[in-house]
Parts: sequence; C-alpha cells; structure tokens
Amino acid sequence: MNYRKYLYGTFLTAALLSCSDMEEQPYGIINSTTFYKTPEDAESAIVYCYSILPEVGYYSRGYTIVTELPTENLTQKGDAGTSNFELDELRTTATNSNLDDMWTYIYRGISRANGVITNVPNIAMNQTTRDQIVGEAYFLRALHYFNLVRMFGEVPIRLQTIDTPTQIPLAKSPVKDVYDLIIADLKQSEQLITVPRISEGRANKVAAQGLLAKVYLHLASSKSSASPGYEFVSNADEMYTQAAAYAGKVVNEQTTFAFTDNLVDIWNTEIYKKAAVSEHIFDAAVDRSGDREGSFSKLPNMFLPADRPMEIVYNPSDPASAKINIGQGWSHFRTEANLYNNYADDDKRKTDLIVSKYWNAGTEYNLDITSSSRPFTRKYIDPLRIGDASSCNTPIVRYSDILLVYAEGVGPTTEGYAAINKIRARAGVGDLAPGLSVDAFRKAVVEERANELAFEGNRLFDLRRTNSMEEVLVNKYGKTITSGAYFFPIPQREIDTNPLMKP
Amino acid sequence: MIKRRLLYYLTVLFFLVPWVVQAQSDGLVTGTVKDGQSQPLPGVSIMVKGTSTGTTTDADGKFKLQVGSADATLVFSFVGFQSQEAKVGSQTEFNIVLTEDISTLQEVVVVGYGEMKKSDLTGSVATLKGDNLNKTPASSMDQLLQGKIAGVQVITNGGQPGSGATIRIRGASSLNGSKDPLVVVDGYPWGDAGNLKQINPDDIESIEVLKDASAAAIYGSRGANGVILVTTRKGRSGSPRITFNTLQTVSTLAVKPDVWRDPVEQATYDNEAATTGGSSPADIPFIGTTRGGVYYPSIAELRGLDPNKPQWPYNTDWVDLVYRNPHSQSYTLTADGGSDKTKYSISGNYYKEDGLVIANGYDKYTGRMNLDQKLTNAVTVGTNVILAYTNSRGQQLGAGRSPIWPVYDANGDYFKTSATDFGNPIALANELYNKTKTFDLLASVYANIKITDWLQFRTTLNTKFGNSVQDQYDPINSTQRALDNKGSYGSIVNGNYNDLLNENYFTINKTFGDVHVITLTGGFSIQKTTNRFSTLTGQNFVNDVLQNENLGSAGTMLISNDLQRFGLQSWYGRANYVLKDRYLFTLTGRADGSTKFGADNKWAFFPSGAVAWKIHEENFMQAIPAVSDLKLRASYGLTGNQGIAPYQTQDRFGSYKYYVGTGFKTGFGPGFAGANDEQGRTVVSGLGNSKLKWETTKSFDVGLDIGILDQRFTLTADYYIKNTSDLLRLQTIAPSSGFDRQWINDGEISNRGVELGLNAEVLTTDALTWTVGANFTMNRNRVVSMGESDRVLIGTLYESVRQQISTYTVNQPMYAFYGYKTDGIIQTLEEGIKAGLTGRDAEPGEIKYLDISGPEGKPDGVVNELDRTIIGNPNPNFIYSFNTNVRYKQFDFSAQLYGVQGNDVFDFQKMSPSRQLQRWTLDNPSNDYPRANNSRGYRASDFFLTDGSFLRLQNVTVGYNLPSETIKGVKSLRVFFSGNNLYTFTGFHGGFDPEVGELSINNGSYPRPRAFTLGLNIGL
Repeated sequence: MNYRKYLYGTFLTAALLSCSDMEEQPYGIINSTTFYKTPEDAESAIVYCYSILPEVGYYSRGYTIVTELPTENLTQKGDAGTSNFELDELRTTATNSNLDDMWTYIYRGISRANGVITNVPNIAMNQTTRDQIVGEAYFLRALHYFNLVRMFGEVPIRLQTIDTPTQIPLAKSPVKDVYDLIIADLKQSEQLITVPRISEGRANKVAAQGLLAKVYLHLASSKSSASPGYEFVSNADEMYTQAAAYAGKVVNEQTTFAFTDNLVDIWNTEIYKKAAVSEHIFDAAVDRSGDREGSFSKLPNMFLPADRPMEIVYNPSDPASAKINIGQGWSHFRTEANLYNNYADDDKRKTDLIVSKYWNAGTEYNLDITSSSRPFTRKYIDPLRIGDASSCNTPIVRYSDILLVYAEGVGPTTEGYAAINKIRARAGVGDLAPGLSVDAFRKAVVEERANELAFEGNRLFDLRRTNSMEEVLVNKYGKTITSGAYFFPIPQREIDTNPLMKP
Repeated sequence: MIKRRLLYYLTVLFFLVPWVVQAQSDGLVTGTVKDGQSQPLPGVSIMVKGTSTGTTTDADGKFKLQVGSADATLVFSFVGFQSQEAKVGSQTEFNIVLTEDISTLQEVVVVGYGEMKKSDLTGSVATLKGDNLNKTPASSMDQLLQGKIAGVQVITNGGQPGSGATIRIRGASSLNGSKDPLVVVDGYPWGDAGNLKQINPDDIESIEVLKDASAAAIYGSRGANGVILVTTRKGRSGSPRITFNTLQTVSTLAVKPDVWRDPVEQATYDNEAATTGGSSPADIPFIGTTRGGVYYPSIAELRGLDPNKPQWPYNTDWVDLVYRNPHSQSYTLTADGGSDKTKYSISGNYYKEDGLVIANGYDKYTGRMNLDQKLTNAVTVGTNVILAYTNSRGQQLGAGRSPIWPVYDANGDYFKTSATDFGNPIALANELYNKTKTFDLLASVYANIKITDWLQFRTTLNTKFGNSVQDQYDPINSTQRALDNKGSYGSIVNGNYNDLLNENYFTINKTFGDVHVITLTGGFSIQKTTNRFSTLTGQNFVNDVLQNENLGSAGTMLISNDLQRFGLQSWYGRANYVLKDRYLFTLTGRADGSTKFGADNKWAFFPSGAVAWKIHEENFMQAIPAVSDLKLRASYGLTGNQGIAPYQTQDRFGSYKYYVGTGFKTGFGPGFAGANDEQGRTVVSGLGNSKLKWETTKSFDVGLDIGILDQRFTLTADYYIKNTSDLLRLQTIAPSSGFDRQWINDGEISNRGVELGLNAEVLTTDALTWTVGANFTMNRNRVVSMGESDRVLIGTLYESVRQQISTYTVNQPMYAFYGYKTDGIIQTLEEGIKAGLTGRDAEPGEIKYLDISGPEGKPDGVVNELDRTIIGNPNPNFIYSFNTNVRYKQFDFSAQLYGVQGNDVFDFQKMSPSRQLQRWTLDNPSNDYPRANNSRGYRASDFFLTDGSFLRLQNVTVGYNLPSETIKGVKSLRVFFSGNNLYTFTGFHGGFDPEVGELSINNGSYPRPRAFTLGLNIGL
C-alpha cells in the first residue's frame, strides 16, 4: 500500500523537525552580544545615556517637582497628587511617588552610563572620539550621583550594569564615598573631553568644570555651615578654593559660553539653541518636533495658567517689543508669594521674567499672586510650540549659576564683587553693599542665587548646603518641616526589593 | 418591590416544581421521523415491539410498515437519540420527533486526540450540544456558554457589538500569565478563549469542556486553565439537505440610565456642591455669568422665573440622542450530505449587529466547508476550511452630559463648555473615525489510515492566517488624545497572525476477551506561530480632509513594528484500560518543549492519572434496576501554563532618541522600556532570566455520576482542588539596578470548588416532552504566596480615588478590593474629628472613614493610607443556572435563568443623579449619601461597594414547527420567538446590570441589550 510511503514520509519530516532545537530566535532585539561593536555603536550608546535626562520623571517634570516644591518658590494646584503635597509641605514619606520616580530615573541613567564606561573603551575606533564619549559618560554618572547624594544622602554605588538578579543586593555607601566617586568621575571627564562644546544637549569640558565647581562648593558650604551629613569634609576653605578654581576656569578661561546681557534672551529657545555663544553650558535638550514627551517637553504647561491662550510682551523692558503667543497650560505649579514678594519691585527678574499680565483677544488680564492662576515664570515658554510639545530645554549647568559659584568661592574679593554685581546690574538692582565680611558676602551670594536661579532646581540644595532649611523656610516663611529637610527618605520600593537596604 | 419578588418566586417555582402530568396510547402505517430541529432523520430503525418486524426511514425520514394488530407498539430508535414508543391503535400516520439523547451513556464525546463513550470517561468532561445554545445574536460563541456548564464561568463585560467574553474554568490561577482556557476547534488548538468570532454558532455540533487534569493533561503546557473543544458540523450520507436559518433582532436598553432629567435639579446640586466645596462666589457655576465665552444661566432662568431673561431654552435628552433600538440580523445557509465515500458540509453566514449606541456596529461574514473522502477502505482524507471577515465601527459614548447644554452652539458648531471639553457625545459620534477590519482563514487537511483493525494513524496539517487593520482618526482639537498628539491624531494598526501545526498520532483499540478493553493514543506535534504588528501614527495634520489616508502628510510621524515568533514541540500519549466494563483506568502524559522558556527549562512533562468505578455494573446493583448509572471518578495530575509573550527570558536593550541640535539621534543601551505601568510610568525590563519555566497546576478531582430510570434523571457532581505554583510573575526588582521588573516563577494560587449538574426528563411522551436542568458552581480562590510581596495592587489607577483598587493579597482571593472602611455619613463636626478626619473631610455630610490602624498597627487617631485594608471580594460565592425545555406537539418552549451570588461590585457610578437628589443636607440627614461637595477627594472605600448578586432571565424561546410537507418541497419549517436578557433580579443600584467584568468594577460599561428575536429555520 502506498500509504506506507506517506507514513514514512511523515515520520521522517517529524523527526527532522524535532531535531531543530527549541532555541529562541529573537526578532527586533539588540543586546549585549550584538552591541558595543562599532564607532557608531559607541555614539549611539552615549546618545542613549543622554536620553534619560529630558524624560518626564527627570528633567522635564520630576526634577522640578522634587527640587522646587519644598522651597518658597512653588506650590501646586489643589487637586495635585498626595506626593506633590508631601514635598511642598516637607513631610515626605518613603512611598512618595515623585521621589520614587526620581530615584528610579537617576539609577536608570547610572545604568546607561555604566554601560558606556564598561564597554566603549573596548571598541576599536578613533581615540579622541572614544575618550570624549567615555568622558561624557563619566560626566553623566557624576551628575546622577550628585543629584542622588544631594537628595537622599547615603545611597548604593553601582559601577556596573546588572546582568543577573544576584547583583541586586547592595548596601548604601557613606556620603563621603559618593562624593569621592563624583569628583573622580568629573576629573576623568574633564581630562577625556577636549572640546569646549560638542553640540546642544551634550556635555563638554566646560560643563565638567562647572559641575565640579558646584560639587566643591556644596562640600565647602555644607562643612562651614555644619549641614547634617557633611561632617566628613576635612577642610571647608580648601573646598572653597577648589570651587573657585574650577568656576574660574569657566568664568575666565573660555569664551564658548558667556554672560547674556538681556534677561529674556537667555530663555529664548530660538536664541540659546542657535547662538554661537550662550549661557546654556549644559541642558537636557528637547525639540518640539519630537515624537513623545521626553523628546519634547511639556514642562511649560506645568507653569502656565489654564484659563485661556495667552499673549505676552516679549520684552517688558523694551517699549517697542512685540507680543508673542504662548498658549495656555495646566496651572499645575503655583508661584509662591514668598518668592514673588521677595523681589524688589523693579527687579527685572520679577518684571521681565515673571509674567503677571497677558492678553487674550484684545482683553488684558492681570494675574494675582493669591489666586489660583498666578504670575508665572517665563523661563519655560515656547511661542512656537506645537500643541503641548515645546522646545524648552531644562538648564543643568548655566553660566550665571557658575558665575555666582565663582563669587561664593572667591568670597568678598574684587573678583567676587565683580561677579555678583554683574548679575545684579543685569537685573537692575544696583551693586551689593561693599566691605561685607566673608560670611555676609557668601550669604548675600546665596540670596542672589535665590532670585537669579529661581525655578531652575537650585534653591533646595542651596538651603540644604547652607544648613538654613529651618532658618529660611520655617522661621522666615512659616512652613512646617516634618521630614525630608536635608535628605529625602529612600523609596520604599528600593528598601523592599534590595535585601541589603533593610534599615 | 413586592411585585418583583412575587415574579421572582413564580419564575423559580416554574422551574423547580415537577408537574405531574398524565401521559396518554391493521394494516399499513406510514410516517416521518424528524429531529428536534425538524430535520428529517434517515436510517431510523422502526420495530414492532416484541417482534422482528421492522424497517428504517429513507433519506427523507419517511417510512412504511405493515403491522399485525392495533395493539402493536412501534419502537423508534436511532443512535444518539432517545428511543420512543408509540401505540398503533387506529392511527395510520405517525409524525415522530426524536429527542436527542443528551444523557445517554452510549453517547460519544470528543476528548483531546480522540473520542470516547461517555460511560467510559474517567475525567471531568462536560458536553454541550450546539442545539442547546441560546438562539440569540452573539458575535462570538463564548458569550453563549454562560450558565450552560457547571464549573465554567463566563463573564461578559457589556453589550458592545463584537465584544467577547471572559471565560474561567474552575477559577483563575495565574497572576500575570494567561488565565484563559485553550480553545481547540476540530482538533486544532487555536489559542486563548475569549473571542471565538470565527465560528458561527449555527455550525457547532458540540462543545466539550475538559475541566480536570486527567482530561486536560493531553494538552500539557496549555491545559492548566482548562480546554474547550469545539466540534463543527460534519456531512452525513444521504440526499443533500439545505437549511436556511435567520434571526431578526430588535434590542433595547434593559434599564433606563440614571441621568439628570431636570436642569434645575442639576444646577441646584452643582451650585450647592461649589458652595460647600469652598468656591469663591464668582465661581459658583449657575449664577447667570459668562465664563470662557460660555454663558452659564442662573437657576431662576432655568426655572423661567427671571423677569429679565427668557426661560432657558435647552433641556437636552442625551439618552435619547445617544441610544437607539437597533435592528440586528443573522442569516445562515447550510448544505450537507454525501455518499458512503464522500461527505460534505458547507455553510455561509452573514451577521450584522448594530449597537445600542449610535454609529456603533459590527458586521461579520463567515464561511465553512468540511469535506471527507474515503480513498480506500483504509485511507480517509479530508479538509476543513473556515473563513471569517469582520468589520466593526464606532465606540461607546456617554449619555450623562448636563441637559443644560445644547448639542450645537449658535453657529451650528458642536457646543463645548471650554476648549478642552470633549464630552459632547454627538460630536464624538460624528467626528471620530474608528474602524477595525479582520480577516481569518483557518484550514486543516488530514489523512486517517487504518493500518489494521485495531491500529489507526492520523496526520493533520493545520494553518491559521489572520489579518487585522484598525483605522483611526481624531480631528483637530476633537479629543484629549488629539490634543496630546499636537492637535490631531491618525493611525493605522496592522496585525498579521500565522500559525502552522502538524499533528501525527496513532490510536490502538483492542479488546481481549470480554474483560479487557485497551485504547492507546500516542503521537507527536510541532507548532510554529508568527505574529507581526505594525503601527503607523501621524500627529499634527494640516486639516481634517484626508483623515488617516495620508499619514505621510502629518507634522510628526511615528512608526513602530514588532514580530513575535514562537514554537512548541510535543510528545503525548494516553492509555485507557477498561476492566470488565467496571473498572476504568486512564494515564495521560504530554512533554512540551517551548521556545518561550529559558535555556535551562525548555522541556517539561505533564502526567496525569484517573480511575473510575462503574458501580452500577456490579452484581450487587442488579437488585436496584432503577439506577442506570452510578460511577465514581477520581483523578490527579499536572498541567501547565505558558501564557506569556516570547523573548521574556532574553536580555534586551532599549532604544530612545535624543536631540543634539541638528536633529534627533538614536541611542541603544541597557533597559528595555516595555508597556507603562498602572501609574502611567515606563516600566523597564530587559533583564534576562534563563531559568524561566512553566506554571504548574496540580489538580485533584473526585466526581460522581448518577443516572436513574434509564438516565431520565442524571446528576454529575465534582469536587476539585487546584494548586498552581511557579506562577509566572513580573517581579518588582530594586530600581537601583536600573530595571523595574523581571519575569520569574514565584508564588502559589489555590482554587477549590464544587460543581453540580442536574438533568431531568420529567416527561417523555409522544406529544409532550419536558426536561429540566440546573447547574451549580462554587469556587474558592486564594493567593497562597507571592514571593517577597504580601500585596500587589493591580489594574487601572482610578483618578477619582487616586489609587488602584484591585489587589493580589496573600490569603485573600484574587482581585480583592483594597481601601478604607466607612461607617455611613458624618452627622456632626465632633463626630468627624473624633473619627480622625480633618478639615472639610470632618464636616457633617461627608463620608465617615474609619481609623483602624496606624504606624504601630493600631488606631492612631488619624485617617490616612495606613487605614486601608481589604474591603471586599469581587468573586461570587457561587453561580447557578436553571433551564427547561417543553415540547408539546408542534410547539416548543425553552427558558434559561442565570444567577451569580455574593460578589461585591465596586460601583464608581454609585453617586448617580437619583442618589445625588437623596444627598445629605441639614434637612435630610442621610446616612447613605454624602452632601454635595465639589472639592471632595473620594477615597477608595467600602462606600462604593455594593452586593452584585443577580438572577437573570437570560433567555425564553417559543417555537412552532410546521408539520412536514405542509408546504411542498419544504421538509421542515420552524418559527420561533426568543427574548434575551429579559429581566435581572438584583438589589444592585436601581436594577442596573451588576455583571461588569471579572474585576467587578462598575465604571460605566456598555449597556447589555435586551434583545427580542424572531427566528426562522427552513429545511429543504
């Protein structure tokens, strides 16, 4: 019978098929076995490291929430989530979802940077380019740990990308070890990167110097003000000197980034993204043509009132200035009266950089600092935005910030006075009283930073490093601090899932 | 209320009280024999009782027979039908309708890779004949299984045309893996149950459900959730039979939605809520002011009492605008027949279901062909082809919009209260474009070879090809999604599904003497599946003219594509041994190798064993001839679940773009961003796990089958214990690792329960037959362990209560609700403060949340997150159903009741307008409904929990069968009227339908229609 032939045929087929093993042939997957091979891979790997920065959980919303709400700068709308209220009222808990996000995104960034630091040095390629890419990864790792240590204090130090779950258990390291790593990474970065500017959104030699100056200043002032957790710093003055030295490199030894004379131009995306010289030493970069939040930014919507589309005068100090249309937002953040009233009435940082008046269909509307739609910062506006998609970068290292770091570092010297008065002159508030003591001068610089750098994520850390959370927030502004004054609680999710983190 | 209760008792009585009805009693007699569907039955044997005189019916079911005397009795018998007797008397013409023998022990049931006599079953297998499915429009067969089989829970989420159902057999037993049973159609495993749209219910011959491990273990790693075997109609030899079936259905809303009917009442409530909520006087809504370009009338104006303003002109009836009474249709044309060598069955169906909501509908076209050809005495080959095309359009719309607002504004545009008001349902119905088309082709060829009398070999090649395309367009500023996508959103989503399966198995059937009967089945199969997806999205279009027809013209374009490929290889076998027709033994095993699992765990073996004892065959039972069946069964075995996506064991990199001034650059690196979590945050996985393996379910089943009086009364009872371990779980890992989740095997779930199935043929006479059936299912589900976690919140994060409300909690049933406990409404401020509440939350009229715990585990005088606990269980205590069938001469009547008892429903719709009218006020110190307060942040609490028990009059059908040949050329004609979802007895929220899905959360599901169907079946 011929069916037997068929039968044998079937069995042969079955036997052959069964010999093919059950190994999975992946599709659309790149992983450690197929990546980190070519110069293009190296380039792509560092791009991936940067892409964490403008994510919603990091610089395009999360960082602003975590660093600005606790201060006198911002509060939030009435129906915001519990986590916002906890931050605003300084009663943070380990289950705060904003802090959980922050922690998570930072460590994702660290994992990505570690991937580059471990793998890119083995790629055969042009050494200068390779050094630069690895240098950028060191910069980013340092930035992430600097954010972590300023927010949470003692944290686990991870220097490798995880490849099995057995690597998960890891205990916290002392604050000192975290700073040692940050300084070592930034010094590596400053050496490996040779060019002052690579492109928008990428770190560079100047950024490494600027960030290093901020790190030393944090150590210096924390020590000299006896801020909790910084007892390990041996010599505050030495740290001030280092801060001044590195800030000096930014202020005196390069011309790629410089002071912008006109306040509103600092925040004009079409200027700072395109100009040859700008204040934006390093930003988390976005563009409105991006395809998702994280490649564009919705941070402006957090500030802008929700009532109606708004037209504002581009430069209130210039009578001839045209109106620009900036759309409307979600009124999520509300500017606090504490900050608003702290400015002198003619401080241009109030009159030009905080919008308190707008037009809609010819009608003028005034914003009241006590209502739900309040005057708002115009550091994050984009007249060319598409829908909710804006091109507003979040600044991470800005020239004026480093100029003030320099002033604080050098103290009441000629250079110090020159630096702070340059900032004050631009704001139209006149020179700082001469002849101040070292402490008084540094205190004045910190106050200047409050006005100059508001809404840029500096104030909380300035208050912490000067040990003045209570002095300013409680005594001056009447807040209550229940928890999270100097360090936020480490997220419960980490404590629950990392066996060596158990308290 | 009293009326309803009375109706309830009457209905129950009708089903339960066995009426006692008296039954009633030469030459040539002639006649016709038909089945219950009025189809002529060829080959029926007709014998004169006590003699050897007899004949059989011809192809048209007709017979002629010479009988000796008027005292003679004719016996009509046919395989698969109950025998019937008829006294000849003076009658010469007999029109006999044979009832299909549902309970006969000789019935053959389909099991995996074969068939068995029902009496020889050792496992727990339930059977449902296609004829017993309710005659009501159903876009997928799954919905029709509700209440039909003990142990099978079918949950429909609502009445959206084309929606499927959730099926759970003996409870859910996985946390993150699939919980759906495996569906096998004509021997071909199709995949998860839930939306079996490709099968026309008219084409179903029978449905078998394999419930215990003994029955399901032959499907190994896919058997843990149970198996549903669907067998389609095959051709029978004889002259061609052509049948035409149609259903014409009109549907209505079963319950009138609870919405604001009087604008004054609504405005009063809103104003009061704003005042209580602390709004500034200017922000009280209805005071006759213009806000954002929209005029908000005052209450006086709404009443028509403002001397300076005309009566407010609008009182829009949104319910009337959004809902309709749609007409749905179904037409099936079938031809079957064949000869000794060739058998065929061909059918086509057109199905059109319009939704209760305007602009929402579903069309379906299916075609099927079965062909069997005997090539030689030993070799039979055949094919089975199914084609299905579906087309669905539109979406659900809300009807709860304020009646104060018109549909259109003064310019004839859709009225909006603000630029971000996307609640106008008429605008959404007319402006949004949303269409999905699917096409499926399923084909099998087989060859069956009889090698010897006792040895057969069967090989099959099966393939499934599917394609789906979804077109969507949200015009400029028409929806939140449009706004989130830079103004407008258009997309095309493509899916391609391919599956190829080859099965080869031997069957041995051998009897040794009268004592030993052995049946062995063993074989090998290989299956490969490839699913391919692509999504094209455009944002920010110039205008709305092209909709999604030219996505390349969008301001921003997004493309994503994906492919999943996985394979399964298996060796399987089953041995049945029957000793003395009394003692039955079954051993089953399957070894599965899957590509989805880790290098260290590719293969697993799933064995099971069962024994059964036919007690009624024992000599000592001969004394009780009334007992026609008494069988004790027991089984134990292992089944698996591999219901996860492929590539979960592999390490995977992610990809993101970053802007570097000149444009975006693409980055790759560690951490794969998968779907967002319930909070909308990106979840990063991508950490491999080479040890990943199957979930294993160990189940034990003990069952008893009882049949009395030649199977007129039957009872099947089962008790089972199912323990599932090595649960496939997305474990949360320390975020400092750079990853969030990883698939692991961890944890245990147990299900145990009781199932009862009852059937009684109360009457079986020539003119009148009456059967009653009932089934009962009770399942207890418990999460036994979950690795390091005691509780995981799952499901949607509900914005209104700012938390997820369903949980997996150790020592609780799955999906247990989590939140605050409450104790009515606060009546005095002191009471509120004493309760641990502060601010406005402590004021009279607010919900009184209870302080039950604190940082030290005891009440701390503050109501906060620590006071949350398990507050309810969405799983029913039991589910049950009754059905009855009466046939009197040409008429028939059937009815089904379906009930669910003892589940909690989390009712987000609790504060509907009729409840808002009963709100707490100083004059009405309600303890049930809180005051109007627009700044209240509701907490997830037992305030929202309502008992979801119900008993539904699921279906009533009345039919009339025209006597044969009344119309020349028409062999049979049946007309029937069927009502579906006729009434629901429930204490739930004003009679609203409490069946809202597996998680039992009522968040405004699509209403389930009450459907009235006129049906016609014609046989030629």
